[in-house]
Amino acid sequence: MSIRSYDVVVIGGGMSGLMAAIRLSQNGKHVALISKGDPVCCLSTGCIDVYARSDNPMDGIRKLPESHPYHLVGEAQIQKAFENFIDIMFETGLPYFGDIRSNRKILTPLGSAKTTCFVPCTMLHAQTQSNGYMHVVSFQGLKDFYPSYITSRLKNTGFSVFDAGVPTTIGIATRFEDRPFLQNFIAWLKTLEIPDGKIAVPAVLGIDNPMSIIEEIESELDRKAFEIPTLPPSIPGLRLFRALKGVLQAKGGDVYWGKEIASVEKLDHQIEAVTLATSGRPSRVEGRAFILATGSFISGGLFALRGNTVRETVFDLPVYLPGPRDTWFHEDFFTAGHAIEQAGIQVDASFRPRQADIENLFVCGSILAFSEVMKYGCGHGLAIATGDAVADMCTRHIP
Amino acid sequence: MNFEHCIRCTICVENCPVFKVNPEFPGPKQSGPDAQRFRLDGEKSVDEWIRLCCQCKRCEVACPYGVNPAEIILDAQLKYGKEHYRTLGAHLFANNYYLGRLGSTFSPLVNKMVSVDIIKNIMNVLGISTYMPFPKFHMLSMNKTWRKSGKGQKKVVFFYGCFLNFNRPDIGKQIRELLVSMGLEVVLPHQVCCGLPALGNGDMETARHFAVKNAGILAEYIDKGYDVVYSCTSCGLTLVHDYPGILNVPNGKKIAENCYNVHEYIVKLIDEGYVELLFKSVEKSVAYHIPCHLRAIGIGYPALKLFDRIPGLEYHVLDENCCGLAGSYGFKKKNQETSVMLGKIAAAAIQALKVDAIVADCGACRMQLEALSGIPALDPSQIIHESLQSAKVKTAKKS
Repeated sequence: MSIRSYDVVVIGGGMSGLMAAIRLSQNGKHVALISKGDPVCCLSTGCIDVYARSDNPMDGIRKLPESHPYHLVGEAQIQKAFENFIDIMFETGLPYFGDIRSNRKILTPLGSAKTTCFVPCTMLHAQTQSNGYMHVVSFQGLKDFYPSYITSRLKNTGFSVFDAGVPTTIGIATRFEDRPFLQNFIAWLKTLEIPDGKIAVPAVLGIDNPMSIIEEIESELDRKAFEIPTLPPSIPGLRLFRALKGVLQAKGGDVYWGKEIASVEKLDHQIEAVTLATSGRPSRVEGRAFILATGSFISGGLFALRGNTVRETVFDLPVYLPGPRDTWFHEDFFTAGHAIEQAGIQVDASFRPRQADIENLFVCGSILAFSEVMKYGCGHGLAIATGDAVADMCTRHIP
Repeated sequence: MNFEHCIRCTICVENCPVFKVNPEFPGPKQSGPDAQRFRLDGEKSVDEWIRLCCQCKRCEVACPYGVNPAEIILDAQLKYGKEHYRTLGAHLFANNYYLGRLGSTFSPLVNKMVSVDIIKNIMNVLGISTYMPFPKFHMLSMNKTWRKSGKGQKKVVFFYGCFLNFNRPDIGKQIRELLVSMGLEVVLPHQVCCGLPALGNGDMETARHFAVKNAGILAEYIDKGYDVVYSCTSCGLTLVHDYPGILNVPNGKKIAENCYNVHEYIVKLIDEGYVELLFKSVEKSVAYHIPCHLRAIGIGYPALKLFDRIPGLEYHVLDENCCGLAGSYGFKKKNQETSVMLGKIAAAAIQALKVDAIVADCGACRMQLEALSGIPALDPSQIIHESLQSAKVKTAKKS
């Protein structure tokens, strides 16, 4: 057997692929993860939306249409998947908090509330339901973050602006890793004589060690502080992705980053290997089982051609479509639930693609048909739940 | 040009090391696909900041849409280089192969000279930075030792690259010994610089001159049934990515398809049953700093496959930080601050692990990280050489 042969090859490095790969490594499987580039997770708020259209996500999931992939996972496994996620994140030093039975509303840069379920430690106090004073701190020249959006919408708030010397989220976050910069920032905060209450800062408090940075700010100023997610480049999304990728690598998983699949080797009803496109010789990766976690249109898992055709980009699996192209979209872009969101791969109870006749391929994440992650506000949640479920199916397939 | 595929998601920006620490650089999105729209054929380049890109290719690995920002930037850098006066420093670095030949021929004198203050001052005036001791030159460079060694069914050409050749021939010799012990005929034909330093200093003409010369030599061997093995990951990336790509040299594709990273090649030999390796225990804990250009080649991290077989070797994979030196980039006075800031971030991540040594495939990474962390840095091949107990070549029976 080749050294470049794995128990499981996961294609797609987003939340669902990473969670599936980590779960498989936990189950003692030798895993390779292949990704064309960094995932959409890096652009996300870093918060885990499980089901955002009701107060209790589990209740909402129960009421989802029968075809929704959450039902394939089942309630017990959904709970187990999130428990595992919380455990993993705790170990990375970027702990997540939340309750699967109760959504929370956190502050956005617009001063509005975003409904989500699990939040990173830096947003633990970001809930909008609070009566006390809140002081927003922004940074000179930071694009797409205007504190007056928040102070004009919310009562009992004020703001100040700090000059970090750089105007970008990445640049400021990098400087926060530097102790003198942090101390200087804290000293400046102290001079403001902010009334008692909470301190809100855009999500730029360091890249690698946000927890210790926010703890230091809290203890030095003796009040709660939290981060407000920003527009991309989004640091909390980047932290989440890097933490999970690090867990996989530490558990012995191999990553093949930045290359897409050039070809697939199939024999009878089994996929035997995939080759990665490189500038030179294609690089071959063998596996006993394969997981497809390439995401939907934005991540490149699905690609719409002209006319009524949508292609699945790796294995050319049959794609479910809600109807001809003229039924795909609402006239108004911002109306939730465009029909095209239902497009994706239909799977059987064991997450194998239907009508594809492949025994060792499993599908998870937002490429699943009927997932409609925008409509239900369930992107990362569905990724975690189906990633976990698929890992178990896969483990059963190759004991 | 594929810049039209950019959807402005900013994932490249999240991955750009220079953008993290230097606000003068607008980042890969703006200097790559965004600015490309305004770069008209007949007009002179005015974007001087384009030269701040260190060509680490992290943006290309991260981009999920296949945009290749680094290549768009490289193209703009070459255009800028052609239209503007190049400093003496840039000329020197572009031709570092000739400097290496001079340095190695007169090594005792040159090694003394570069550590003398007055020479350092002259170098500073020329725009060359001296914060780090210059790499020592060796008189007995690779190109002055045996042209051919070992015997076997398989034959390889070793593309050792300038750094091993002029500065660390001891590592080059260990790699040659490793390959010979695995039953290979190893040839070290006459070869010149891969061309990357010239590309990095805006000198297309010199780069192509080198590349065409190497391509002719290597193609001749490939036609005779030899495989090409490289050790330096930046030379490797240039051979497989730039020879058929931006340099577009004759036989470029043939070379790209027949070049192997040295550890990838050893893994291939094991896979094919050509050789069986037995390792003795190495009680060491190392931080494996992944060079940016190894990531970019897209073959995964093949040395890890061998590390996994070495008893007692404990390793941590670090692939999120660029060392900042980026070949001659950090040796330029104007980039020194950026380079040192990045190097310190990478060094701090290593120091936090409390390891015995740093391991990195790239000579520049090793120089920078060793200087900034005080921890010795090794080539992965040195570890493999040290721990290899025996190599049993299995093909002898076949006839």
